[in-house]
Amino acid sequence: MLKHLFTLIWNKKKAHALLIVEIWASFLVLFGLATLIVVNVQNYTEPIGFTYENVWAIGLKNNQDTVALREKLQRVTQRLKSYPDVVSVSRMSSNFPFSANSMNNGVEYNKRKALSDLYATDENFANTLGIAVTEGHWYRSADSVGKYSPIVINQKLKEKLFENENPLGKIIDKRFKVVGVVNTFKAKGEFMSDKPALFELFKPDATWNDTVLIKVKPGTDAVFEAKLVKEIAAMLTGWNVEVDYLTDSRKNQHNLVLVPIIIALIICSFLLINVALGLFGVLNLSIAKRRGEIGLRRALGATGSGISTQFIGEIWVLATFALLIGLLFAAQFPLMNVFDLKAGTYVTAIILAMLIIYGIVTLCALFPSRQAAGIQPATALHEE
Amino acid sequence: MLTNYIKIAWKVLLRHPFYTFITLFGISLTLTVLMVLTSFLDHLIGSHYPETKRDRMLYVMLMVQRDSAKTGRSSGPMSFKFLTNYAKTLKTPERVTIFSAFNSSNAYVGSQKIKLTTKFTDADFWQVMDFNFLEGKPYNQQNITNGDHVAVITDEFRKHYFSDETESVIGKDIDIENIHYKVIGVIKGSPVTRPVTYADIYFPYTTPKSNYQRDGMRGGFMSILLAKDKSDLPAINNEFQSRISQIPLPGIENGYKYATLEAKSDPYAENFVGQILDGNAGMKAIFFGVIGFVLFMLMGLPAINLVNVNVSRIMERASEIGIRKAFGAPVKTLVWQFIVENIFITLIGGSIALGLSLIVIYLINSSGIIAYADLTINLTVFLVSVLVCLLFGLLSGVLPALRMSKLNIAEALKST
Repeated sequence: MLKHLFTLIWNKKKAHALLIVEIWASFLVLFGLATLIVVNVQNYTEPIGFTYENVWAIGLKNNQDTVALREKLQRVTQRLKSYPDVVSVSRMSSNFPFSANSMNNGVEYNKRKALSDLYATDENFANTLGIAVTEGHWYRSADSVGKYSPIVINQKLKEKLFENENPLGKIIDKRFKVVGVVNTFKAKGEFMSDKPALFELFKPDATWNDTVLIKVKPGTDAVFEAKLVKEIAAMLTGWNVEVDYLTDSRKNQHNLVLVPIIIALIICSFLLINVALGLFGVLNLSIAKRRGEIGLRRALGATGSGISTQFIGEIWVLATFALLIGLLFAAQFPLMNVFDLKAGTYVTAIILAMLIIYGIVTLCALFPSRQAAGIQPATALHEE
Repeated sequence: MLTNYIKIAWKVLLRHPFYTFITLFGISLTLTVLMVLTSFLDHLIGSHYPETKRDRMLYVMLMVQRDSAKTGRSSGPMSFKFLTNYAKTLKTPERVTIFSAFNSSNAYVGSQKIKLTTKFTDADFWQVMDFNFLEGKPYNQQNITNGDHVAVITDEFRKHYFSDETESVIGKDIDIENIHYKVIGVIKGSPVTRPVTYADIYFPYTTPKSNYQRDGMRGGFMSILLAKDKSDLPAINNEFQSRISQIPLPGIENGYKYATLEAKSDPYAENFVGQILDGNAGMKAIFFGVIGFVLFMLMGLPAINLVNVNVSRIMERASEIGIRKAFGAPVKTLVWQFIVENIFITLIGGSIALGLSLIVIYLINSSGIIAYADLTINLTVFLVSVLVCLLFGLLSGVLPALRMSKLNIAEALKST
């Protein structure tokens, strides 16, 4: 049966060439879209690693003021801690969670290298963002003795640099000493891939680390914020004070990921509807043209379901041809490791795209083949 | 003859409403997507409010410094001083404006918080840009020299900050981070997709926190050089580049030793693409590869689809062709007839697409996804779409027509 179908399609390969090209192209489009979605769904399922509700990022810019920055920053931090509405305060570098800024650095341990995101924070950081430390502890000011500055790394960086070794107490790059490990930290939101991250305890005179994260009590609103900004602005004349809610910044980061996906989704579904309609039309016509053949087969005893299976089988063979060609292209992605994604991602995307293609062609063939099955041998043969 | 073909085409369309629907669906939706995309691109890089003179403008937005080994680079906007020395004093341009790149702040009204984008500009900014003043006027050189705390605000911000919408707000006071400014003008805002002009509040650069006093070459300012005429653009660029080349090299900036210094003055479109492609050649290849692939799919798939549907449609009319051939119609006439038919269908699809695009664009404009969005179908966009339309018509007409013309008369008549 299968061999027979192959011969049938092969004999009319010229007439079917365009259909094959169409299915092939749809497969490639679907493969691209599926990869995009699979990657983001995979990222989304990994935990973000911190809490962001009720956390505000206060950006301070010193502008033309260059006098006693360290003391001023410390005074502001102290003042913030004294508010009853503020639960926790932490100072960090400008690449706070969900911000547009990022910093990274290559780190090395025993010839193993990794490119890692770098966050300069203080000892209250884990507390403010509710980060759970899985091994060791979050650094304290007391850890900063000697020439090594204490760091906390995430699981991903631990895997890259240490594999199965115990990272605690190890020295990286002759200047960092690992004191703790956290699980994941996806600073750009749920859709970010889990990348190596490194937290460093900054020195008190690192005045360029001028973002302050505060965790406020639930229900604290803009009235308190206005009071706070007013007071800080009075303490720091000539400085810029800007308050961002992490929940708002998170929405922005998500939009950056979601908007392109939604646009791609709209365009792809329009393309696929187009292709499906075209396929449907072509199949409808070609089956109408084969009335004589169908009538003859029916007269010789073929059942209605046998006829419709034949037509669906034909289109499946056609789709398989197209998909095989498409696979030649798609297989390059996992083989050549394009875009540095896991092979499993591509394989999932390929399987998804194939299933959708088979689904579409089956749907398109279903109605015409049902119609063909309903042809009465007597009428069909009479027309002949 | 032509009207005859069109009449036949019309009858054929009505005979098979379903295929007509598939064909028109393909054509009109492809064109709609294309037109909306073009219109969006035009919105991003074309000359529109308030940058209506974009075709006469050169944008100086970025300075790049590289070290001698070309491995390290540092880039960003420039300082006010740098731009005053090297851009403001140019002889060829009609006008030069300097303004800050991007600042943000918050304002508070009762228990409500307003997120703000602020911009520090010079007085020429208001001459170079064509802002529409709803109330009041822009600040002038006098305000700047006096260091007046004045501000020009957008109507959107006015709506949020001042509750009374009927009363004039000129001369009223706004408080931002403990500094009070007097409103002297209200403008219709610029959409966020025009980062050079977009802001909620505009201040003279001499108000506090603008950092215009900063030494060194890098800072937070950008510049636009406005030419008297389009043809002056190369001359202005040359003059600016010769100024830049006079800066002694190598130099040190914030402890970074650099061997080369680059500050381009580009038309906006180049600037726009340049920032995306600001990377190595590999990145560029991937970027263009992806764009090319997407465009190919967007146009190619519906085109293949059209050809497919058309082939079936024409094959179905084999008997008609057979009879016409039997009566002596030459192949050329037949091919011509089918091409006209296809162009006719494509044009119908094109006009549906035009209507659909107008609806989509209206929806985008009025939905508020982009504040002050002014997407339009202008003449160029429309002409490009019509051209694409015709291309589609020919593409999906020629192949089936050729196939059909090879049809054997006896064969064709047999199937009647």
